[in-house]
Amino acid sequence: MITTEMIRLMLIDGLLAAIAAIGFAVISNPSRKAIFVSAFLAAIGHALRFFLIKSGLEISLATFVAASCIGLLSILFARLIHCPAEVFSFPSLLPMIPGLFAYRTILSLIKFMQSADPIKNQGFMMDFFHNGLTTVFILFALVVGVSLPVLLFPKLSFSVTRKY
Amino acid sequence: MNPDFTDKVPTIEQIADLLTDISCELMSAGAHTMRIIQNVSRMAETFGYKIDVSVFQLSIMMTITSKEDPTKRLTVIKKTRHLVLNFTIVSDLSALSWDTYDQQLGYDEIKKRFHEIISQKRMSRWLVLFLVACANASFCALFKGDFQAIGLVFIATLAGFFVRQEMVKRHINHLVMFTTCAFVASLLAGLGYVLHWGNTPEIALASSVLYLIPGVPLINSILDIIEGHILTGIARLVNATSLIVCIAIGLFTSMLILGLEKL
Repeated sequence: MITTEMIRLMLIDGLLAAIAAIGFAVISNPSRKAIFVSAFLAAIGHALRFFLIKSGLEISLATFVAASCIGLLSILFARLIHCPAEVFSFPSLLPMIPGLFAYRTILSLIKFMQSADPIKNQGFMMDFFHNGLTTVFILFALVVGVSLPVLLFPKLSFSVTRKY
Repeated sequence: MNPDFTDKVPTIEQIADLLTDISCELMSAGAHTMRIIQNVSRMAETFGYKIDVSVFQLSIMMTITSKEDPTKRLTVIKKTRHLVLNFTIVSDLSALSWDTYDQQLGYDEIKKRFHEIISQKRMSRWLVLFLVACANASFCALFKGDFQAIGLVFIATLAGFFVRQEMVKRHINHLVMFTTCAFVASLLAGLGYVLHWGNTPEIALASSVLYLIPGVPLINSILDIIEGHILTGIARLVNATSLIVCIAIGLFTSMLILGLEKL
């Protein structure tokens, strides 16, 4: 349920995601307006995902919802500032990249390779598949979620840079 | 350009050269295939030509045909440069293509604006370095790392990204670059384990290499596959995956050196 504590946590989450989005956006050298928009979208998307996970939704499904929300909003902003939507929707997805899961996948693989104990190895293999599949599904959820608006409204998303 | 050509109707060779230049520039700036094709087709339309484009990872192939006289046609192939993400170029060229279409811009005008767009200066590298380090540190905070972990990740990212900028300047192979940067960053972040700083050293180690994840190529590849450019999409996917494997190798190496596999 929404309590003040929950809102506080969501705000912190959104703020951190915004900083992360700014940093990852500047690598791809967008215009200044686009950087702010991507920070804003990242904050909204990540806070939404945080809320959904806390209310009991599975992480890849929550990611999908958050990514489609970012995708829809990015088309709106794209029309406002005449800039292709992917310029700010891509960086705002990056804070949701499943880095920790990817790391745990590699870690369990290393442990599996180095251990000779068959019972422990079963556990490592289970960790490997659990974390690996979560990583892959979150990645797909991100991309399919954000490109959903592009697929639904192709005319709209290719004509945002038109000024007349 | 040659002043003799101004005020004349551009030849088919000139137009083909300009359009291949634009599509190669878009490709190396990180646009997805559909956008490249749409942008150059729109411009060709303005000049009264029809084009068919094949986009590959390393080259772009284009056949340009006159609408009035179908015997007048030309096929051009141009090598693309390696990927240097630059979204300002993508959005400006996209705007240029609409301006061309809506205002019927002339050849010289387009060429002038194209050169202005691609010669824009990038953001200062030190500012980028600082912002990337902040971003990765806040990433660590998102994963619930404590303050020691956040500090470590900040320093590790500063070092790793600096190494990356230097290696990009010296045109070192991408795969070697990613392995080295992941190694440097994770080695520094792994110090938290060795020196027992804080309670969440594993989060510091995990998030120290995340600034390297090739997010844009990954998303582009899936977009290409969804939109039907499967070959280009798979090429991009293989490219991004090999970079991720390199990150894993770098991380793996420093974990073995620090002896963390026992943890």
